[in-house]
Amino acid sequence: MNPTPLLEIEDLRVAFRQGKQDVEAVRGVNLTVYPGQTVAIVGESGSGKSTTAHAVIDLLPGTGRVTGGSIRFDGREIAGQGKKVVRALRGSQIGLVPQDPMSNLNPLVKVGRQIAEVLVANDVAKGKDVDRRVVELLEEAGLPNAEQRAKQYPHEFSGGMRQRALIAMGLAARPRLLIADEPTSALDVTVQKQILDHLDVLTDDLGVAVLLITHDLGLAAERADHLVVMYKGQVVESGPALEILQNPQHPYSKRLISSAPSLASQRLLAQQRAEVREQAQEAAEELAEEVAHTDAEFGGGGDYVVEAEHLTKVFTLPGTAPWRKEDFVAVDDVSFRLRRGTTTAIVGESGSGKSTVARMVLDLLKPTSGTVRFDGVDISTLRSKQQQLALRRQMQPVFQNPYASLDPQYSIYRAIEEPLATHKIGSKAEREARIRELLDKVSLPWSVSRRFPNELSGGQRQRVAIARALALQPEVVILDEAVSALDVLVQAQILSLLAELQSELGLSYLFITHDLAVVRQIADDVLVMEKGRVVEQASVEEVYGSPQQEYTRRLLDAIPGGSIELSR
Amino acid sequence: MAWYIGRRILQAIPVLLGSTLLIYAMVFAMPGDPIVALFGEKPVSEAVRSQIEQQYNLDKPFFVQWLLFLGNAAQGDLGMSFSGRPVSELLAETIPVTFKLALMALVIEAVLGIIAGFYAGLKRGGIFDSTMLVTSLLVIAVPIFVFGFVMQLTFGVKLGWAPVTVGGDASWDRLIIPAFVLGLVSFAYVLRLTRTSVVENLTADHVRTARAKGLTDGQVNRRHVLRNSLIPVVTYLGADLGTLMAGAIVTEGIFNIPGLGNLAFRAIQQKEGPTIVSVVTVMVLIYVVMSLIVDLLYAWLDPRIRYA
Repeated sequence: MNPTPLLEIEDLRVAFRQGKQDVEAVRGVNLTVYPGQTVAIVGESGSGKSTTAHAVIDLLPGTGRVTGGSIRFDGREIAGQGKKVVRALRGSQIGLVPQDPMSNLNPLVKVGRQIAEVLVANDVAKGKDVDRRVVELLEEAGLPNAEQRAKQYPHEFSGGMRQRALIAMGLAARPRLLIADEPTSALDVTVQKQILDHLDVLTDDLGVAVLLITHDLGLAAERADHLVVMYKGQVVESGPALEILQNPQHPYSKRLISSAPSLASQRLLAQQRAEVREQAQEAAEELAEEVAHTDAEFGGGGDYVVEAEHLTKVFTLPGTAPWRKEDFVAVDDVSFRLRRGTTTAIVGESGSGKSTVARMVLDLLKPTSGTVRFDGVDISTLRSKQQQLALRRQMQPVFQNPYASLDPQYSIYRAIEEPLATHKIGSKAEREARIRELLDKVSLPWSVSRRFPNELSGGQRQRVAIARALALQPEVVILDEAVSALDVLVQAQILSLLAELQSELGLSYLFITHDLAVVRQIADDVLVMEKGRVVEQASVEEVYGSPQQEYTRRLLDAIPGGSIELSR
Repeated sequence: MAWYIGRRILQAIPVLLGSTLLIYAMVFAMPGDPIVALFGEKPVSEAVRSQIEQQYNLDKPFFVQWLLFLGNAAQGDLGMSFSGRPVSELLAETIPVTFKLALMALVIEAVLGIIAGFYAGLKRGGIFDSTMLVTSLLVIAVPIFVFGFVMQLTFGVKLGWAPVTVGGDASWDRLIIPAFVLGLVSFAYVLRLTRTSVVENLTADHVRTARAKGLTDGQVNRRHVLRNSLIPVVTYLGADLGTLMAGAIVTEGIFNIPGLGNLAFRAIQQKEGPTIVSVVTVMVLIYVVMSLIVDLLYAWLDPRIRYA
């Protein structure tokens, strides 16, 4: 390997000003990237990985500033050398592929123009050459119809296409180092794989060094030669990727590896899952009997708590003129049955119709045709207020984004109390006791109840959302991408919490996700959806062991790090 | 797009019908006798009274009056004012004056407000920003006629730089001071709106990405911050032209400008039904057209918006 490093970070310290205090986000980070090498920084959110990367190009957000240490690029000190020094490197020497493709393109400027800016600003091309080069760059980034696409606006692009445009932008001036900040975390797994594969090929061909920032250890190990594990602003471990993966030294790295869904050992999971299922089914039968005794509406459902038959949803979209309407089939003839005390997962990419199915099951959206039966009762026949409330008591949702699904003006206490109040359950004292019990179940301290959602972390909020869903003692919980927005470690915690609750309370889960890696840890049956249709329907073992459909195989292949052997 | 514009124009019809009916009802319900108002304190003979009542349809129920007005208006006849001149002639004289005044006010507030707001937003928390925030607060808080009289006194009477009143000759140079007074309050709003919008956009992800491309601060601010920040400002300015035309009454009064506001004020004092309704209809029409233009402008500024 080339002996002179391209990027050398030594004892870097970054602080943010909060009130009158400096809060250190990066505390003495050392990092070296050699020309052409791919180095990954791995850590959970808040570990300082993005902050480190942004410090390199002097784009720290808000009050952030470098308070100590040195950053050398190509042997030259660039930290604290004034704006001009770093600006001269931006684009031309150091490219950036940012995290969220939705917000990182200017919505008012054509995509081609935004790429052209890099070329002009760094004197790479002039005049007519610029447009030609933009098209070449977009083609190189794997965008079909590049010439037309360059003339379009970002909102006419899908997420994957935007990320390709951002990659074209980052590489436009042929930098020697590319900082890729979670470049695919906002994308579907299959798209993620395509884009990362493409980025690998490009950077290899061009000999560009990559500083990859990710929270996904599997992904990092698959893509990088060298790993740097960060925790609370410090590097806890660094070294060759495989070495860290097979023989982690630091306890935090060990935890990361054991929690990564893509890396977890299969057999162990199958065993644990079987135990959970057995307990849950027992508890569920008791629960079903109870419901049958107390509630007049439900309780005749037998083994299956939810049965969906031939569900179809057609949305009518406004066309170019008022009399020209377009029909869009979001869900096409979907049938499935949810066994009591088990988990059925619906897997698919965004736009596959999986969330639409969930909304129809929840009776939040009326199906165009087909029926949903809950405990043997067709839910479309429940039209009186009482009947609908009774249904809601038995079926509760948990949504993807814990930041958006809790009312910021409601204290945690009020958020969990709301369903109890709506259904007029218990006296004030009884409700308080119930909330205590619920917080305890989801492993949150009682002191949380007086706080507000913005004071909690993402994982804590998701626990609150689960507590709220469980407040009414439902039989079925519908989890719509409930763990997708969470870091690996938090995700693992929430998944084991869900499994615990399932075996204890006999819950049945409908688990909606785009991530097949997670499915193995929680589900018993799997429905794979593509473009509104079910393409494969089988048990978890069958789907993982012998996927029947090409599409399912593609989803499985796309799990990052799936092929890496662990020495366990 | 064509269908969208067509639909919006069709929507204007019930708006116009409703507003004229409302105004007619209000004029009808106004206290005082228009004929007494017309003759001042002098006694009116019965014969003259009934003749005038017939001439202006004052003897008929208000709904009939309204229908008659609509029928005539559709043929281009807006009726006569009490001074004996066709209302359409009065409108033709006053609309250009007020339009000129409002347009000048709009240009002044837009140019000054956007420039000041842009710099205040870029240097948030600085001296300029703080000064501008206090100034705009003052401008919003103090009633507009106070500024009108102060400016009139300072520039017209003491310094003699501008005519004290505008009078019959409403030329561009004579309207500068009144236009400034008229646009003052909106200037404060434009400034604040631009500032907030710039501050918000400065921290947008795509602005950081633009910096990462190697663009200079100036390039980033011009291309990625300013234009994106202008979307809400343009919307406000468009709607404001209507407000300025309708809201010129006070300014026109102070500087004695023969515009729409003055006409409306006099007509209301004398309870001249046809004139009031015509003036208000014109103002409603201006509002409707301006809001349509703003919506179309919005689609032009923001490619994400499509009308169908």
